[in-house]
Amino acid sequence: MGSEAAAKRALGPALMKAHRLNKRYIQRTPFSRKKFVIDALVDVEIDIAPGCISALVGESSSGKSTLASCLAMSEKADSGEIWFEGQEITGWNDRQFAPLRPRIQLVFQDSAGALNPRFSAAQVIEEPLEVQNRESGAKLRRRACEVMEEVGLSADWADRSPLEFSGGQRQRLAIGRAITLKPALLILDESLSGLDLSTQAQILNLLLDLKSTHALTYLLISHDLSLVGQIADFVGVMHHGRLVEFGPMQQVLGSPQHDETRKLLASAGGVESAYRAAQAGGRA
Amino acid sequence: MKFLERRLVHAILLLIGASALCFLFSTLAPGGYFDEMKLNPQISPGTVAALRSQYELDRPLPVRYEHWVQSVLRGEWGYSFAYNLPVRSLVVVRARNTLLLTSLAMALAWLIAVPLGVWSASRAGRWEDRLSTAGTSLLLSVPELVVALGLLYFAIHTHALPVGGMVSADHDTLGPWGRARDLAAHLVIPVTTLVLASLPILIRHVRASVVEVLQAPFIQAARGHGVGRTSIRFRYALPAAANPLISLFGLSVAGLLSGSLLVEVIVGWPGLGPLLLEACLSRDFYVVVGVVMMSTLFMILGSLLADVMLVIADPRVRMDNV
Amino acid sequence: MTSRHKAMVAASLLLALHLAILFAGFMAPSDPTSQNRDFPLVPPTSLHFVDGRGKFHIRPFVYETEPVPEGLHEYRENHAHEYPLHFFVSGFPYKVAGLITWHRHLFGVQAPAQIFLAGSDSYGRDQFSRILYGGQISLAAGMLAAGISLLLALLVGCASGFYAGWIDESAMRLAELFLVLPWLYLLLAIRAFLPLHLSPSGTFFLLVAVIGTIGWARPARLIRGVVLSAKSRKYVTASRCFGASDTYILRRHVLPHTYGILLTQAALLVPQYVIAEVTLSFLGLGLGEPMPSWGNLLANLQQYNVLVSYWWMFAPALALVLVSLGYLAVADAFHQQLQSGSM
Repeated sequence: MGSEAAAKRALGPALMKAHRLNKRYIQRTPFSRKKFVIDALVDVEIDIAPGCISALVGESSSGKSTLASCLAMSEKADSGEIWFEGQEITGWNDRQFAPLRPRIQLVFQDSAGALNPRFSAAQVIEEPLEVQNRESGAKLRRRACEVMEEVGLSADWADRSPLEFSGGQRQRLAIGRAITLKPALLILDESLSGLDLSTQAQILNLLLDLKSTHALTYLLISHDLSLVGQIADFVGVMHHGRLVEFGPMQQVLGSPQHDETRKLLASAGGVESAYRAAQAGGRA
Repeated sequence: MKFLERRLVHAILLLIGASALCFLFSTLAPGGYFDEMKLNPQISPGTVAALRSQYELDRPLPVRYEHWVQSVLRGEWGYSFAYNLPVRSLVVVRARNTLLLTSLAMALAWLIAVPLGVWSASRAGRWEDRLSTAGTSLLLSVPELVVALGLLYFAIHTHALPVGGMVSADHDTLGPWGRARDLAAHLVIPVTTLVLASLPILIRHVRASVVEVLQAPFIQAARGHGVGRTSIRFRYALPAAANPLISLFGLSVAGLLSGSLLVEVIVGWPGLGPLLLEACLSRDFYVVVGVVMMSTLFMILGSLLADVMLVIADPRVRMDNV
Repeated sequence: MTSRHKAMVAASLLLALHLAILFAGFMAPSDPTSQNRDFPLVPPTSLHFVDGRGKFHIRPFVYETEPVPEGLHEYRENHAHEYPLHFFVSGFPYKVAGLITWHRHLFGVQAPAQIFLAGSDSYGRDQFSRILYGGQISLAAGMLAAGISLLLALLVGCASGFYAGWIDESAMRLAELFLVLPWLYLLLAIRAFLPLHLSPSGTFFLLVAVIGTIGWARPARLIRGVVLSAKSRKYVTASRCFGASDTYILRRHVLPHTYGILLTQAALLVPQYVIAEVTLSFLGLGLGEPMPSWGNLLANLQQYNVLVSYWWMFAPALALVLVSLGYLAVADAFHQQLQSGSM
């Protein structure tokens, strides 16, 4: 425990911190007294170390996506504090948060839904720049083509609709769109689910390349522990809205503290194979 | 029961809303209600001023509205200046006539549309269906105005039916059977016009609803069990398709009322339509408000009826709400 | 014929009709306002191809119409002389697009013969010309009113769907009110509160405004639905992450989804509104003499003697039916396109 804390401190202050986050959804059926209460987040504490890959795993509706939304400031938590790059950003409205927005970007799972089908591939990448008024005209187009090349897409496809791309190519496009604003933190919410294994591997390599080129920090969210085990430095486990375990990859995989972690390990093909996958990934 | 209670409250709010809208619109009149009268040299300024104070146009809007509401609660519904009578006595008589016309037309239209729609749906895609769809489209494009005028034309030239009015001049001298026949003869043209005007939309909707239901698995199962065709259509498919049709019933009352206004004017049927038109032309404000209220009431009754039918017809609605 | 073909045929016929009406000046052989008191209620002039001697003429001709001396509104043809139909004749001057004055007409005959393709009315005015000019007014009223309605619907639907909350609640309650009231009662009621006797252009714009305000509710609800679903898409969330303003999101991501609905509703509303204008003018609450409108042309039929004896006064009804048919076919086609998702 002590060495883990020491290791964390060695990396420097956390890029993003969340302290006792709570969020509850209340659904009322019209014309009746019944209501459904969903505790999406319960007293969640998380530290995201800069320059590392942190991961969140858990079953569906364990609260992973809610946490991602709250950290990306697209939803408001009911209570708790959020810190980013040393500043407290809890409860900031859109206007206050605007200058920091480009620093945190999201990549979604459903790429077909996350990209406007009426846009061309180039327009998809240009959109963040356009919105932030950073470039215009021919320079905008050139930048878009550069980004496309960088994520492994041919610039010749700039005018095609995202629907013409394969699932893996669409995710590359989505990742490209996310990095145009040069963010510090990239949150990937189930971005690799639904892709076949070889495509997953390719995207993971792309993510690693981009990380070193652009000094990115990742928060990877997935239900698939073996996938995450290949590249993550830190992993957290979510269960019914609580973050039940969080720590360096080897530690969590090697000696899981919580039943949920053990369950996930088992379904990921066993403790041994996940551990070996982590070892083979060569993360330190 | 809670369901119906809510609809009643809803209805009252609607009536208040409609009346408020009318009063609000009257304030939109650029340059006042009686400006044209002022221009008429035969009307003295004193008369105009007296009219203004009678109408209470010199009072603010909320006061006028309040007085009108009080009048409604007293049973007068305001005062008609053209007839010198409380609005209620005028409107109720006319409303009865309009109700006769519209309910008859409604019943007839649905009685024709449902079998035709079901038959069309069962023959979906074949030439009979395409022919009927073409027919309904053609009928849909002929405006009611034209249908009414056309029917009048034929009535005149064939001398088969009385042209215009609700009863003949010698109506009171006829015996009860004669009176009923006289009324029926006068009803033919307006009712036919209204039915022809509503049929296309109703048939289309019935057909669409039933076509969708006929695809359902439970229909296939019934067929597999050897249930006869007519039985399938009317005892299996139609009840399942009933929901959207019942809602359509509620909504179609509005279209029918608008249609009846025009038909009544053209044919000379003494209903709410000619009353409204007259009131518009003679600037009889409270009559206009009264007629609009009455038509809103009809609308509400229509949709309440539809809701009751829904509660009776669909067990799911009963379970959720009672 | 596939539905696509049917739609194309309908659209081209509709376009041809609109063009004919747009160039009413050129198509009309007579001045719509010039009265001819000697020839009231003349039946439609017959076009002949075979003359009294049995000779066939390629170019159709007409005979001069003369009143029967003892009859009331009875006419006969004077077979003394044949008057061939000429094309591109010189006739009464008119303005093209309100600017250029021209005097060529598509067809006409030499005086003293007259060509009443759809008969004449009680003042001796050529019905055919009046139908063309009346079409300008009725169609323009319908289209402008539809524009107003759709603009209102777009504004309300977008605000309602996008901002939700009390804006949405109150807008939808108001829409419900407008949907619940029978449209003709509402139209008459609104018209009742406004001045009855205005200048022709004043009445026209008043009519357009009044008609435009009754039909915004249904399209507004449809647009609201589309906006609500567009708002929940992930690419809108992504856009917000880039810091996009509400205006940007509305403009680039939401609005394009409304185009299909706007087009379909336009094709549905225009004929309804044309009929609304015709109805109002028919009842005497719209445009009056001397401006022709299909409504006040048909109003002549309210006189018993006209309805009985002068069947050609029904002619504006034919024009109205053709317009309705055309728009309905086009609306159906748009609707099918929308369903299949290609819009």
